[in-house]
Amino acid sequence: MEEFHPHNDEMIFNADEAHNIVKECIESVLGKADYNQNKVNQWTAAIVEQSLTHLVKLGKTYKYIVTCAVMQRSGAGLHTASSCFWDTTTDGTCTVRWENRTMNCIVNVFAVAILL
Amino acid sequence: MDEFQTGEEASFLVDEVSSIIKEAIEGAIGGNAYQHSKVNQWTTSVVEQTLSQLTKLGKPFKYIVTCVIMQKNGAGLHTASSCFWDNSSDGTCTVRWENKTMYCIVSAFGLAI
Repeated sequence: MEEFHPHNDEMIFNADEAHNIVKECIESVLGKADYNQNKVNQWTAAIVEQSLTHLVKLGKTYKYIVTCAVMQRSGAGLHTASSCFWDTTTDGTCTVRWENRTMNCIVNVFAVAILL
Repeated sequence: MDEFQTGEEASFLVDEVSSIIKEAIEGAIGGNAYQHSKVNQWTTSVVEQTLSQLTKLGKPFKYIVTCVIMQKNGAGLHTASSCFWDNSSDGTCTVRWENKTMYCIVSAFGLAI
């Protein structure tokens, strides 16, 4: 008797879809704003929460982690790196870099498949 | 018939992960000043060292480690993260480190398989 293995053929992280979702969220929150120390906390929170909500609405069986960094443009150097230990066939990541005259914004999305 | 469960519950232990991260940061950039030509190596080495120590714990987790290094020159930096996961088994730990010339922020996320 053969063992039945449910095969998650459709479980591939669609990075383009995530990229578009995140870009729209950033635009709607930061669009025309200038760096404002009093507001930055609200902005980063709004970006991660909106992005997460839209990703979850896709209805896929994934766990998500969304991180956002907003930095004032002043000539300082900023470097980021990330490393992941996961299942490369089903899990994935997407990074969106955005900037305007006064600030840089970097959003990372990590999607980890849930095994049912 | 009762289900036979073996082994300890695997959980994300923040303190344990926090020490792993601190050691990785100290080891990679400990006594150094910000240097544009070396920062890429440093961020890579911090995440890789952290990840390899985490996987050595042998727990049934998937891990994501991120590292940000920023030169100190008065600029403002704000970060936020939001997670959609299983609160009972998954967890995160963020370590902020600095010296005279730079800031280093490392976040580790652990998701139970």
